[in-house]
Amino acid sequence: MSKYSDELTYNFTKGIAPPVRETRIGVCSAYCGTCGDLNEDVKSGCAQVQSRKFAQSGGCQLGLAVGIASSITNVVTIIHSPLGCCSGFGGQAGMRKTQRETRGKRNEDFVWLHTNMDQLDVVNGGIDKLREAILYAEKEYNPEAIVIANGCVPGIIGDDIDSLVNELNGRLSAKLVPVHCEGFKSRYVASGYDAAYHGFLRSLLEPIKQYDRVFPDEGQDALERYKNSRTVNIFNVGSNSPGDENELSRLVSALGLFPKVVPLHNSLDDLARLGDAALNVSICATHDDYLLGHLKELFGTPYIIDTLPIGIKNTNRWLWKVAEFFGLEDEAARVIKLENDQLLEALEPLKKELKGKKIFVGGGETRILTTAEFFSSTLGMELVGVKAHNVDRFVEEILEDVTGPELVIEVAAGQPAEELNIINKLKPDLYCGHMGANGWVARLGVPNLPLFGMGLNFMGYSGAYELARKAVKVLKNTNFVKNISANVNLPLRKEWFDTDVKDNIKENDLV
Amino acid sequence: MSDFIERAKFSCALGGALTTVAGIPRVVPIVHAAGGCASSLSGAYNVAAGYRGVGYCGGNMIPTTNIAENNIVFGGEDRLAEQIEHTVKALDGDLYVVLTGCQVEIIGDDAVSIANRFREQNVIGVSSPGFLGNTLKGYVAVLNAIIKDVIRKSDTKDARTVNILGVVPGHDVQYRGNLDELKRLLRLVGVKANTFFGTDESVETIRGYGDAALNVVLSPYVGVEPAKTFEDIHGTPYIVSEIPIGPTGTDIFLRQIGDALNLDIALVESVLRYERVSYYSFLERIVDIYSDIDLQRFAIVAADTYYAHAVTRFLANDLGWIPHLTAINDIEADDAERQADYEAKFADITSETKPKIIFEQNAGQLLKHVRDSWELNANNKYYDALNPAFVIGSGIERSLAEKLGAGFLAVAYPVSNRVVLNKGYAGYKGALSFVEDLLTGLIAAR
Repeated sequence: MSKYSDELTYNFTKGIAPPVRETRIGVCSAYCGTCGDLNEDVKSGCAQVQSRKFAQSGGCQLGLAVGIASSITNVVTIIHSPLGCCSGFGGQAGMRKTQRETRGKRNEDFVWLHTNMDQLDVVNGGIDKLREAILYAEKEYNPEAIVIANGCVPGIIGDDIDSLVNELNGRLSAKLVPVHCEGFKSRYVASGYDAAYHGFLRSLLEPIKQYDRVFPDEGQDALERYKNSRTVNIFNVGSNSPGDENELSRLVSALGLFPKVVPLHNSLDDLARLGDAALNVSICATHDDYLLGHLKELFGTPYIIDTLPIGIKNTNRWLWKVAEFFGLEDEAARVIKLENDQLLEALEPLKKELKGKKIFVGGGETRILTTAEFFSSTLGMELVGVKAHNVDRFVEEILEDVTGPELVIEVAAGQPAEELNIINKLKPDLYCGHMGANGWVARLGVPNLPLFGMGLNFMGYSGAYELARKAVKVLKNTNFVKNISANVNLPLRKEWFDTDVKDNIKENDLV
Repeated sequence: MSDFIERAKFSCALGGALTTVAGIPRVVPIVHAAGGCASSLSGAYNVAAGYRGVGYCGGNMIPTTNIAENNIVFGGEDRLAEQIEHTVKALDGDLYVVLTGCQVEIIGDDAVSIANRFREQNVIGVSSPGFLGNTLKGYVAVLNAIIKDVIRKSDTKDARTVNILGVVPGHDVQYRGNLDELKRLLRLVGVKANTFFGTDESVETIRGYGDAALNVVLSPYVGVEPAKTFEDIHGTPYIVSEIPIGPTGTDIFLRQIGDALNLDIALVESVLRYERVSYYSFLERIVDIYSDIDLQRFAIVAADTYYAHAVTRFLANDLGWIPHLTAINDIEADDAERQADYEAKFADITSETKPKIIFEQNAGQLLKHVRDSWELNANNKYYDALNPAFVIGSGIERSLAEKLGAGFLAVAYPVSNRVVLNKGYAGYKGALSFVEDLLTGLIAAR
C-alpha cells in the first residue's frame, strides 16, 4: 500500500476546497466479481467508471467531515445548510462525553448550530444567517475554533463562505475553519476526510512558535530534542476506540518510543505541536493520506502509510514498519515474538470453535481485508466473500496478498439489496460488517458482529483476541437472528434474490 | 425569515417525510437526492427516536437516485425514471413514495410528474426538499399527498369513525404506544380510530379513511394543514385537540370527542370513571414511597408544542409536581401571535405555582433561562435553592440536568438514552408508564 501513496503529490492547500477523491486518486464504487478481476479492472481504469441501475442510499461526505472536525476540543460546529444535514447529532450528542472521558479528556458539551436555510435563503443566499450564527457561537461559547461545514444548498447556489471568513478573521477570538464537504460533489464519502483535513491545514494548524530561552539550558534543549526524535504520532480515525488507541500506544511504547494519538479529540494546542514528532504513522490510508502528505510539507515530518493493524499479521507488519524507521528491528522482533506467542496460545481454544466456519466481511476496504485475513489465516475460518464500500489503489497490494483471486468481492457503499443477494447465495455462518449493514443481515437470519465500534477493541494484539472472542460469543446463541428472520420481513422481492447482482451494474456510465 | 438554531431538535422536511413514510408498514420511499441524504436522515430516527430502527425499508435500504455533480449540471429526471423502474422490480411495497431532496429541487427536476407516470404501479410523488423547513413540514407534505392520492373518496361517512392527525411518527418518540392507547380509549366509547401509524394500520386500511366522520388533530399546529386538505377533498370536518396524558387530559379529550360525535354522555362518563379508578388503583402503589422520601419535584419542561403543555399539565394537575419552567422550542422568536395563543393554554394549570413559559429555539440558552428564573446563590448561609428539580425534555437537555443536579427523563425527540418499544405516555395507561419512568430515575440507585 505504501507504494501507491509514494506516487501521490500533496500540494492542494492553496485552493479553498480539496479535489474530490474521484479526481485525486480514482475510485471504484460499483463492482461485482472476483478479487482477481477487480484488481485487473482497477488497474485498467474500467472499474472506476461503473455505476448501478438500482441504487440505494450510501453515505454523505459531510457527515464524515463534520465528525472529524467537531471532535476537536472547545470547538463549535456550524452546519451551513437546511436543518437535515447532521441532524443525527441530536441522538449522538451524549456520546461526546464517553468519547472524551474514556480518553482522559475533559468533558464538554457538544455544541453545534444549523443555519437552518429555508426557501428564502435559497433565493437570497444564506451568508447573513451564517454571520449571525458565527457571532452567536463566539459570544455564547467563546470557542477556540468555529468549524463551518458547507452543505449542498449553499454549494449549489454559490454562497461564498470564504469571503465571510476573510471578513471576520482577526475580529474574533475563535479561528474560523471552513470545510467544503457538499454531499453532491463526491460519491466517495472518504472525500469528507480530505475536506475536513483541508480545513485543518488551511485554518487550524499553526505550528507552535519556538522562542529562545531567557536563560539558556542546553540540557533541557537536548532532552526535548531527544524526546521529539523518538515521538510517534499515531493518527486515529473516527471508527477506532480508546481501547484501540491504548493498544497501539502500548506497542509503540514497547519499542522504547513515545506515542501520541492525534488528531481526533485533540485540543488546538495539541495540534500546534504535531510537528514535535519524528514520525507520523497512519492506521488507515483511506482516512489520512491527504493529511499526512501535507503535514510532511508543513512540518517536514516523514510518514508511514502502510497497513491497518488488525489481526496478527497486519499488527506485526504495522509495528515492524514503525520500528524499521527508527532502526529498532531487534526490539520489534522481541516484542512481536513475545506478543505472538502469548496471543496464539490464548487463541487456541477459540480457534477450535471457529475453525471451518464460513465468514463474510463487509465495510471499508482496508478494514475488511485485514479483518478477513485474521479470520481466515489465523482463526482458520473459511472466507466466502467480502464487500468493500469502495476500492482504490491503496489496497492493490493487500488485495493480491490477503485474498485469493477467486474470492467473491462486491464493491458498494451501502447497497444492502446487492449484499443480501450475495450473502443469501454464499450462506456464511457468520457475518462481520459495517454499521447499518448488520441489521439487514440479521433479518436474513445470519449471525453477525460489528466490524468496528467505539466501545470495543479491534486493533493490535488485544483487539485480535477481542475480535476472536466476540465471534465465538455470537455463535454461542443464534436464536435472536433465527427469531427475527422467521418473523420480520425484508423488503426485497423473492425475484430479486434470483437475479445476478452483476446485471445491476452499468458499465462506462457514471450518471 | 427563519433563524439559525443551536442544537435543533428537528431534521429537515425530507427527514420528516422519511420518518412519516417509515411509520406505515410496507411503504417504500424512493429518494431523488444526493446519495447520503436518505440514510443519514433515516439514521437519525433509527437512533434518536428511542431506537425506533430504520423500519421496513429505511436506512441504507432506501432506494436513492444518488445524484452527483453531473446531474446538477444536466438534470436528474432520467435517472429518477430509471431508479423507479428498477425499484418496483426489486422491492416489494404496497406504496412507493418518491421524495425529493434540496439538490434536485434547486435545479428544477419535476420529480412528482415523473412519479405520476408510474401511478399504476402504486407510485406517488411528494416534493419534500430540506429547505421547506423542519421535520413537521415533511410530515405535512406526505400526509397531504396521501390524502390526495391514496385515500379513496367516500360519499358515506361512518358517524362513529375518526382519523387521528398531528402525531408525527418518530418525532413523537412514543407514537406507537400513544396511538394504540388512544385507539383503545376511543373503542371503549364506541368510536373506531384510524391512526395512520398505530398497530394494525396499513396502506389498505388508510385507503378507506375517507369513511371517517371527523378528523381529530392531536397537535395545536402540525396536523391542521392536512386536516384542511382532508376537508377540501373528502368533506370531512376536523377538530383540534391535544395529546391527552393522564386523568385531566384524557377526560377533556374524550368529552371533546363525545361532544363532536354526539356520543352518549353517560357512556363517556362511565368509561372515564372506570379508567380513573383503574389508574388510581395502580398509582396507589407509589403513595407511600412518594410521601416517605418526598418525590415531589420542581419540573423544568423543554419540548415542542406537541408535548410541552400536555406534559406540564399532567405533572402539575395530576402528579402534583411544581411546574417551574416550560420552554417551547418550535415557535419562532418573531411569531408573537402564536406564542400568545400557546401560552394561553397554560391557564388550566391548577397548581398554586404557575409555570414560567418561555419560547426558545436554541437549546443552549435554556440554562440561562433557568438561572434567570431563580435568585442566584450569593453564598448566603441559607439559600432557598431550585431543588429538588427534574428536567423533562429531550436527550439534549441531559447536560442541563447534570449541571442543575436535577433528575432527568427524555420524552421529546431526540431520545437516545433509552429504548422505546410499545410504551406510550398518552391516556391513562400511558400516564402510568410516564410515572414509572419519572420515578424509576429517582430510585435507581437503591
